[in-house]
Amino acid sequence: MLDLLPQWMRDGLGDDVAFWLGYLTNGKHLTFYASFQFTIFAAVFGSLLAVMFGLIGATLKNSSFPPARLLGTVYASIVRGVPDVLFFLFFPLAFEQAVEWVMASQVCTPESLAAQSAAWPPCKDANWLLTTPEYLVMASVSLGIIYGAFATNVIHGALRAVPRGQLEAARAYGMSAGQVLWRIHIRQMWVYALPGLSNVWMLIVKATSLLSLLSIADMVLWADRLGAPNFLKSVGLVHDDWRWRYYLVLFVFYILVTLVSERAFDALMRWAGRGILDESRR
Amino acid sequence: MDTFLTELAAFAPAVLFNIYFAASAIPIGFVFAVVLALGKGSPNPLISRISRIYIYAFRGSPLFIQFFMFYSLALSLNISLWKPWGVSGWVLHPLFIGPLVLILNTAAYTAEIFYGALRAAPRGETEAARAYGMSRFQQFRSVTWPNMIRLAWPAYTNEVVFLFHATAIVYLALPVIGLQMDLMATAKWRFEKDYNAFLHFSVAALYFLAVSLVVFFLFGLVYQRLMRHMPAPPRMRFQPKWIR
Repeated sequence: MLDLLPQWMRDGLGDDVAFWLGYLTNGKHLTFYASFQFTIFAAVFGSLLAVMFGLIGATLKNSSFPPARLLGTVYASIVRGVPDVLFFLFFPLAFEQAVEWVMASQVCTPESLAAQSAAWPPCKDANWLLTTPEYLVMASVSLGIIYGAFATNVIHGALRAVPRGQLEAARAYGMSAGQVLWRIHIRQMWVYALPGLSNVWMLIVKATSLLSLLSIADMVLWADRLGAPNFLKSVGLVHDDWRWRYYLVLFVFYILVTLVSERAFDALMRWAGRGILDESRR
Repeated sequence: MDTFLTELAAFAPAVLFNIYFAASAIPIGFVFAVVLALGKGSPNPLISRISRIYIYAFRGSPLFIQFFMFYSLALSLNISLWKPWGVSGWVLHPLFIGPLVLILNTAAYTAEIFYGALRAAPRGETEAARAYGMSRFQQFRSVTWPNMIRLAWPAYTNEVVFLFHATAIVYLALPVIGLQMDLMATAKWRFEKDYNAFLHFSVAALYFLAVSLVVFFLFGLVYQRLMRHMPAPPRMRFQPKWIR
């Protein structure tokens, strides 16, 4: 990276600055910066899915059909009893095994089943090799399922906060039940759901730090690699254990993300809430 | 059925580790949180600002990163501090670092709950206490404190349950020493042996669920005791709102 600068600029920099510029832009560091994309992808995709699952869950919970209501309630309460990290680890593993089980019923022959000595997969051909993109999608889906349960509670509350009169007026205009739900109820619900959804977004952002548990080379994993004592034969000891510095950077990074998203959600809430009478904001 | 019972028995020692982490973090975290909450509400701008920043930082960052940060910090101080003092054996032990980070983390979350309760405590009662000529400590002891605890108790119960859930990531961030494993580490270890994800993770989830229910029941009893002066004690609702 330093080579890209013109010579006069490189001369102008002191030795220290040149060293740090070179150190912070070496190949490993560039990979470290690039690995932020996994975190951002998981946060964005995960929260989109969470809102989707939340909408489905809240609709189920609001339904007049008892089994659907039960399903929605059970889904919304899984988060209360089980740690998120447990489900976060469990879902990708279970999904992988389910796919391999289906594959095994298709491709395995008695010979290959007998030849397999390990406990899983059933035969060698039924092995689904997962790489980073698959893990990333599965991690986002499990984030979506876990925090969708939170979003279900939020959206369920918001649906009940929409003034009755609005729905009655819509019905009086002759809208069908589906039209009332989509055009009036869910449209007006967002204003009441925003504070809770901002909370869910913060939770998802914090949960993205767990990606490295699914062997995704995200920034936590790279911080560990880059900070480990670095010894080169040609140079000697480049630095000793610097891991805490890298984790400190991540710590500050997450605090900044929280700060920025708090501001953004505040602005969004002010924008969405204009013209709406709300006692709580007085 | 038999495998299920063996599995339950195999996880029984593991749940003790989770209970140890939670039980050692909660009392100290509680005291620290009260100090932080009072600090945040303090009229002194310096104290108030420091408490605010502390609470914000620990609530705004993942516990997972906090574990890594404090553990690697402790590791890098090993040669200069812990070794000469002869304490590196237990300072770097997960059974010490784990509760330490949990205390720092839960104190921030709990302090935010207590601060909210502190602000919601009725002003009239404090004014009445002042009119009676109570000293500031007496005011705190007999008016502010009981009000704060009563208002904060339902949210604090949630916080304790979620702190217990958070103990699941202690051994995902810290090294496992020998057979000292909590529920998650046991589930992962047993999964790697026979690849039976459904059995091991469900049993671990069952243990988490069971302990959460016990915690909720016990804290509900305390809440009833706190609210015994009310004609009809309000029921406590379990709302997962304050979570890391």
